[in-house]
Amino acid sequence: MAADEATTRLEDVQRVTEAALAYLDLDDLLDALLQRVTDILHADTAAVLLVEDDGRTLAARAAKGLEEEVERGFHLPIGRGFAGRVAATRQPVVIPDLDDSSIEVVNPLMREKRVRSLLGVPLIVEGKVVGVLHVGTLTPRDFQEGDVQLLQLVADRVALSIERSRLAVQGQIAQTLQRSLLPRRLPQLPGVSMAAWYEPAAEETAVGGDWYDVIELGHRRLGLTIGDVAGHGLAAAIHMGQLRSAMRAYALEVESPAEMLAKLSRFSDQQQLRMATMVYATVNLDTWVVDCARAGHPYPLLIRADGSGTFLSDAGGPPLGTGAVETYDEQRITLAPGETLLLYTDGLIERRGSTLTEGESALVEAATAAPDEPELKCRSIIERLTEGIAVPDDVAVLAVRAVGLYEEMEVHVPAEAEQLAIVRHLIRRWVSAHGGTDDDCAAFAIAVTEACANAVEHAYGPGDAEIRLGAVLEDGEATVTVRDSGGWREPRGHNRGRGIPVMKEFMDDVAIDAGDDGTTVELRRRIGGE
Amino acid sequence: MPDLARLSVESDGDIELARVAGEIDASNVADLSQRLLDAVSNRSRALVLDLTETSYIDSSGISLIFDAAARMRNRRQQLRLVVQPRSFVGEVLAAVSMQDSVPIDPVLGEALRAVGAPD
Repeated sequence: MAADEATTRLEDVQRVTEAALAYLDLDDLLDALLQRVTDILHADTAAVLLVEDDGRTLAARAAKGLEEEVERGFHLPIGRGFAGRVAATRQPVVIPDLDDSSIEVVNPLMREKRVRSLLGVPLIVEGKVVGVLHVGTLTPRDFQEGDVQLLQLVADRVALSIERSRLAVQGQIAQTLQRSLLPRRLPQLPGVSMAAWYEPAAEETAVGGDWYDVIELGHRRLGLTIGDVAGHGLAAAIHMGQLRSAMRAYALEVESPAEMLAKLSRFSDQQQLRMATMVYATVNLDTWVVDCARAGHPYPLLIRADGSGTFLSDAGGPPLGTGAVETYDEQRITLAPGETLLLYTDGLIERRGSTLTEGESALVEAATAAPDEPELKCRSIIERLTEGIAVPDDVAVLAVRAVGLYEEMEVHVPAEAEQLAIVRHLIRRWVSAHGGTDDDCAAFAIAVTEACANAVEHAYGPGDAEIRLGAVLEDGEATVTVRDSGGWREPRGHNRGRGIPVMKEFMDDVAIDAGDDGTTVELRRRIGGE
Repeated sequence: MPDLARLSVESDGDIELARVAGEIDASNVADLSQRLLDAVSNRSRALVLDLTETSYIDSSGISLIFDAAARMRNRRQQLRLVVQPRSFVGEVLAAVSMQDSVPIDPVLGEALRAVGAPD
């Protein structure tokens, strides 16, 4: 090739490869590339076909000069026709003249548009054909070796972008699927306070394997589960969905957690599912007897009222999906009021460069130091153990706490508007755990929010002010106290004036005590009655 | 963290229909207020604010509604609310006698008919 021809060629190459890097959206990328390719090669038509999921068919994805190919949803089995031949032979194919060719051209569009010459190259990623890129001319053309090489270069870049895009879409689907399989909210029942938190893996493509679930089994019993499916992405999310469905189906019939895991082991074997670890526990909300079985999963942690932590390590068994049908034993404990059972996945304790035991110790420290309230406990534990680390795995935590009927709550939250929703969460949980109805929960949620509003509005800066929330139940009457460090100001603007009537509407009694060191709002309402 | 509330706005001719799903409190009321303001143009005849999927509202949301009502009154535009009568939101609005200032309908169809939306 002459020197300036070579330079032009180089510039052409840069035009197509630079385009490939700049665009993120696959369809825009293909359109831009096809435009440039037809310019550079002086072609009239260009198209990209991709191999479908079945691995046997090509489908038109983008076209220039042949737009109808995409619109009509053109499909072609690999091996047939021009593009099919390119894909089957994994080689460039040239048809110098369609009118005089032994190669069967299946696409009627070619004749309609009077395409005369065609050059097609395969798109290959990691040794696999993922599609075909072809260009055509309306006048007979003698494609040169340089044209073939250029087109193949473009094809290589396109193939990489397609693969990247496919993985990204799959990753998004996996995430969406997995999120939809996690419970949107946990049941709120008297005597128990529960919370869960899920933190996806730092790298998006690693998402997919962890799940947790809480099922109401009737007769004041709950089924708790947490699990970790091997692998990542869409396959893992689907696998997780299958296990979850099977578990829910068995849960109503199977009393014993050991039996549940044995059935799931058989299920995994039948369905030829890959490995998964899991904990399944049943809880009696009246007696607080907890039976627990474990399939290769990290030990559940029991956090006692005195602040110590014990791992439930007596009962265990192999993971699910080992290729054999396994049997399991189970362990029984009784939770005392104020004690919390913590289920979690190994993303919380596995750290490169540390042993599992070190991870477990860190967990005990974090769990016992964290606030008692399950919602705050879960967040605190995860924050503490994942702070500053890009965790390569998902992390899920489920905390279940036995609430004594006369237990007080005392929490501190920053006086920020964003905290109000969390405060409502906490208050609803507490009221419900102490026998309040949905109406009682809603009533306290709004009254407490109104009581916090003053502190939130007048806090002098983030981190400067704190709200202290207390709750006590006595003789069927709940008293919730909201304390802040600002004075209760006179109604300024409409808001203040409305907050008080709203509180009075929903509470039996409202008392506001504004002092120099702060304001205390006391809200009282009988709860749990019909 | 998912958003506390989702706002969706549609136009049906010169009638704007806004739906709020989720909770309205001090943390998101300013943003919602601005977006509602943006949704109503000078050519709008009415705004129907559908709160049937609103699970929580307090004095901050109430103020948003009263402010919107005043604005629209000045511009001679109608504001109507859709609220299920025996819902939590219904109770909150009743506590401040909202119905004396802003008409409240139990279902969307009635609100649309009241502002004269084409069927």
